[in-house]
Amino acid sequence: MNRRTLIANLAAAIGIAVALGWLFTLVFGMLGAQTDWSKAWEYRETLWRGWLVTLGISFAALAGSVVFGLLFLLGQRSSLVVVRWCCRAFLEFVRDTPLLVHLLFGYFVIFAPLVSRPLADAGWDDKLVIGILLLSLFEGAYLGEILRGGVESIPKTQWESARAVGFSPYQVYRHVIFPQALRRVLPAMAGLFVSLIKDSSLLNVIGVAEYFYNTRNFISRSYAGLEGYVPLALGYLVLTLPVAWLSHWLEKRFRHET
Amino acid sequence: MKLEVDSLARCFGTTRALDGISLSVESARVLTLIGPSGGGKSTLLRVLGGLETPDSGTVMVNGAALATTAAELQAYRRSNGFLFQQFNLFPHLTALRNISLPLEVVHGHDPATAQTLAEAALSRFGLLEHAHKLPAQLSGGQQQRVGIARAVARKPAILFLDEPTSALDPEMTAEVLELIQELAEQGQDIILSTHEMGFARAVADQVAFIAAGRVEELASPADLFAHPRSEVCRRFLSKVMRY
Ligand SMILES: Nc1ncnc2c1ncn2[C@@H]1O[C@H](COP(=O)(O)OP(=O)(O)O)[C@@H](O)[C@H]1O
Ligand SMILES: [Mg+2]
Repeated sequence: MNRRTLIANLAAAIGIAVALGWLFTLVFGMLGAQTDWSKAWEYRETLWRGWLVTLGISFAALAGSVVFGLLFLLGQRSSLVVVRWCCRAFLEFVRDTPLLVHLLFGYFVIFAPLVSRPLADAGWDDKLVIGILLLSLFEGAYLGEILRGGVESIPKTQWESARAVGFSPYQVYRHVIFPQALRRVLPAMAGLFVSLIKDSSLLNVIGVAEYFYNTRNFISRSYAGLEGYVPLALGYLVLTLPVAWLSHWLEKRFRHET
Repeated sequence: MKLEVDSLARCFGTTRALDGISLSVESARVLTLIGPSGGGKSTLLRVLGGLETPDSGTVMVNGAALATTAAELQAYRRSNGFLFQQFNLFPHLTALRNISLPLEVVHGHDPATAQTLAEAALSRFGLLEHAHKLPAQLSGGQQQRVGIARAVARKPAILFLDEPTSALDPEMTAEVLELIQELAEQGQDIILSTHEMGFARAVADQVAFIAAGRVEELASPADLFAHPRSEVCRRFLSKVMRY
């Protein structure tokens, strides 16, 4: 860094620090007196349970979205034009409407009347199961597009070589196309998984007792402010940051490899 | 090898890549396809190698009709070797793994045997020192030689080579052609397309001149290069031999 950029950076740092400091003093000045961290401690069990549910939803929907993503990928690459076309239309619909609408419509109009009873009878939490399913579908639609982009970016010669070597169609994907495509789409996939974790908070609209739902209840019941929202943000960061780091790490590793 | 091709046709849209090719070779170790670009050499090789299905016509390879179902074609490809102009290797796998992976998953060898066979294939062509390099770390010529090592690791009935040296500079071309000649001398049946006329003359038993989707001429290299009968062939040869 030369002298001039050093000074410019220093000035920028001071400017930003002052602005943030001013904002914080303002906010804390208003809320400081009322902030009582013991409230959050009182509700720790509810919050912890909610956080675990969010963790569970994230893992389940991650697995589910991979399944749906692969199905959508295969559907779009099907040799049957009808399958391709239906897949395309469905994906377009899913990607161009809000998740909130899918959750409300999917739960209250489609799935709840159909499967709530049997699920409840079997001892399952119907909201949780249906919520995970709908979230998986939504993120799977995006993942399908990401995967398709990756698969289609692999040059034709690779498909040909793989066929020439004698691989079956499944083996072509398994050993040649996917390993190369995944390296290319990994950053996009990690970004999607971060979104998925954050989007899981929307499941509160169908009454799933996840982290956001429980924290909001705690906030409205105890009139909490900062002591409610700070743990809320931190709770999600704990989940999303590792995913982001993992993706950066993998990205670097694969870049050296190829 | 014995080859019997009758009125083979293949169109891409309105392009007649193969326009009723007929070809009969009683016995040849090395059959070379020459001719102008776009003449249909690659398409013919791809059909013969089981990578492309023709629109019409018949092919008999060593007395057996070419497979038609996807499963039979796959089995047929497994029994042969194929090498393209370039980018044959899988870039995410080392040279060794490029060879051992098909041995494992296609031919059902256990990992240890596959590795041993792959190492043998590499050392046969003096490539063992590159076993653990990725394709990007190899020169073009080395990549092609590893590609050939992979193609012959399982003793293919026929080795198909589609302009194996067209993407290489002269020095690398020489090292790859030497290897191919060596294979031919060891008895490997080969069908290749090439623009290396000197090589065709030296190594081929039969040379087919292909233009506009047809076999214009089929003869021994001595014959074909000394006395081209058709006008197109004469013009082609005089053009490529000029420099
Ligand atoms: N997959 C394909 N799609 C469309 N046209 C093709 C395809 N493969 C070959 N062709 C066309 O068929 C003709 C013959 O091509 P090719 O067999 O590659 O000739 P050569 O190998 O002798 O140069 C060319 O006009 C080429 O453009
Ligand atoms: Mg060609």
